[in-house]
Amino acid sequence: MKNLVIRNLCKTYFDPYAGTHVTAVSDVSLTVEQGEFVAIVGPSGCGKTTILNMVAGFLPPTSGEIILNDRPVKGPGPERGVVFQSFALFPWKTVLENVAFGPRMRGLPQAECEKTAREYLALAGLADAAERYPNELSGGMQQRVGVVRALANNPEVLLMDEPFASVDAQTRMTLQEELTRIWQERRPTIIFITHDVGEAVFLANRVVVLSKGAVLKELAVPLPRPRVWDVLIEDAAFKALSAQVLQLVRSA
Amino acid sequence: MGDSVATAAALPRFPRLWAALKFVAPLLFLLLLWEVVVKSFGVEPRIFPSVEAVAAAGLETMQDGTLVRHIGASLWRVAVGTSLAIAISVPLGVAMGLSPAVSIFLTPLFRFFSVLAGIAWIPIATLWFGYGFGAITFVIFNAVFFVVAYNTLLGVSRIPMALRQAAASLGAGGWSMLTQVILPGALPNIVTGVRTGLGFAWRGLIAAEMIATNVGLGYMLFLARDFYRTEVIVFGMIVIGILWLLIDRLLLAPLERATIERWGMVDRA
Amino acid sequence: MKSLLLKSWSFYVRWTARYPAVRSIVPFIPLVVLWAAIAEAGVFPRAFLPGPVEVAESFAMLVYKGILPEYLEDSVVRLVVGAAAGVALGIPLGVLVGLNARAREMLWPVLLFFQAIGDIAWLPILLIWFGFSLTTMTFVLVYTVLFPVVLNTALGVRSVPEDLRRAARTLGASPARVVWEVILPGSLPNIITGLRNGLGFGWRALIATEIIVGTSGIGFLMFDARRAGSVVEILLGMIVLGLLWYIVDGWILAPIERATGQRWGLVTRE
Repeated sequence: MKNLVIRNLCKTYFDPYAGTHVTAVSDVSLTVEQGEFVAIVGPSGCGKTTILNMVAGFLPPTSGEIILNDRPVKGPGPERGVVFQSFALFPWKTVLENVAFGPRMRGLPQAECEKTAREYLALAGLADAAERYPNELSGGMQQRVGVVRALANNPEVLLMDEPFASVDAQTRMTLQEELTRIWQERRPTIIFITHDVGEAVFLANRVVVLSKGAVLKELAVPLPRPRVWDVLIEDAAFKALSAQVLQLVRSA
Repeated sequence: MGDSVATAAALPRFPRLWAALKFVAPLLFLLLLWEVVVKSFGVEPRIFPSVEAVAAAGLETMQDGTLVRHIGASLWRVAVGTSLAIAISVPLGVAMGLSPAVSIFLTPLFRFFSVLAGIAWIPIATLWFGYGFGAITFVIFNAVFFVVAYNTLLGVSRIPMALRQAAASLGAGGWSMLTQVILPGALPNIVTGVRTGLGFAWRGLIAAEMIATNVGLGYMLFLARDFYRTEVIVFGMIVIGILWLLIDRLLLAPLERATIERWGMVDRA
Repeated sequence: MKSLLLKSWSFYVRWTARYPAVRSIVPFIPLVVLWAAIAEAGVFPRAFLPGPVEVAESFAMLVYKGILPEYLEDSVVRLVVGAAAGVALGIPLGVLVGLNARAREMLWPVLLFFQAIGDIAWLPILLIWFGFSLTTMTFVLVYTVLFPVVLNTALGVRSVPEDLRRAARTLGASPARVVWEVILPGSLPNIITGLRNGLGFGWRALIATEIIVGTSGIGFLMFDARRAGSVVEILLGMIVLGLLWYIVDGWILAPIERATGQRWGLVTRE
């Protein structure tokens, strides 16, 4: 069974301003099965982004292990795709070139890279924007490009770091619905970081609540799919679950 | 940027040609004005020459090959100094800029030297290299080197970490990271640096050629002064003006515009 | 050992946070040390590269003799006078060119061409007209500062949003008031950029002019020392110049440019 195992993960670092060592993550253990959609929520500074950065390989853990499909994680790589809050699209490359970047890095022939890129752009409904530059697109469209750029590499796990925090509320709802649609079609494994409780419950199968660098509680989200905002916003189960998670987060 | 090009409304079939004409027209008008003033006020040729005198002198320098010799010497020095400077300063700037700690520490140093770059080095250059090619090329090298190194350093250090992380997680190795992310990301700053550095270098060239050598455009002007040959001086000034306009407006400014505006990045030192 | 390094790094970070000036000064210390080491080691002959101690000694002596302050004053006064004249001429011209499309079409190519000729290329003909005099120097400086100021002012004027101008008019401002109350403040960041560029080229032109016209000033100091074969004064002159401009540009002009640009949310472009 393919999975991502995080075991006793800790991260401390030296803060030059305070002159002391700060513990960002203390003893976090988590297992994510293939095809799961896990949302990690918590207040600012609870360590969720740090955990994501460690799984992505941008930061080395102070102690503990991160094991993907029985192999330990060392440094960034295409099997762990990342979607950034700031989109991080290369401004000097067209949308097509951005999405084709990953396949190109893997050494695939030009024609195949382009074909793959167009396929994924179509998945996101952006086939027409292929020749445009990122700065010509709206925030919502840019982030869609960001998502399919990571997906074009067929990653084992997709790491999303508050990806919709920089877009307006309406666009955010559209993007969330888009994301669940893409997930249902392709079933990637997703770890989604957010501080928005409603977003977490809407998107995920499982919600992990973090507090001060440690796991507070994990909750399953048994709501049926496909999930649509118009329906869920009135749904009693959704509201109850959101309230429960919110209370946990606020008490953290 | 600077050239006010006519907008789509009145454009005939050759927009570039039209823009060039619009640019040249006021200058031609000035030429006319010059001729009229000199003739009607009876200005002494030793004070300010007439258009024909300048044209005649210019023609003479072209025919006897002195113009080609001087321009050649000047441009050769610029070419050597500039290419050497860019070849060293860009890699250096990239290497320094990649580490946040190193770039924070070294930025003030490079800013200091970039601020001093160019003409201020003429006295010491002539001491170290004697008069001639060495000193002048050094001044040019110096001007371009420090300004480009500083701007490259700045440009690389300002590439958002998220872009570098994105490239890493998409599988970019060292070389790809450099050519696909770092260099394009810093390119606007590098080009700005080259433009500014070359501006200082050009001024340095003319000044140094007046002081420290016996061939080159600056020297041509200075020599003519000794003989009160104002028509050669004015011709030389026009040549210098045209050369710099060609270099700056046809080469550097479009390059800067293309990288910064096309990619929507605004990042200035 | 590691905790000592971390402690000192923490110390450095906190000090630079409180006194940002430290960050601009500390990096020079290893440079000076390196310089002293190279000079001591005699890698280059003493006549080519003296050490920092000799330069400092020379500095002290020249100050004591009053030569350095006098030359410095000469140079600075020339620069300031030339710059002031350049700015006084340049801003109105820039506003005119910025506001009036006709004027722009006629004058812009002329301005660009004359800027391209460059201040230094004017020296030979200026020497014929005015000889080795203050007039020559002033002309060069005014010329140098004028063009960046005009071009940048014009740019700034053109980038003031139309809506701001319209708003002022609907609130009852006459065209002249609009210029004073809206256009000038709106283009201030660009004007400062023009001033910075102008001064940057300006002091360089000053040095070149002082070398060629040569009666007093830092440029003259350096070239005279060169003629006498004395490196120490040359280095001293360069350091003084560098420091002066580093301070003026970095701690006075750039912050003003940034403050006006950011404070008022305007984008500066050239």
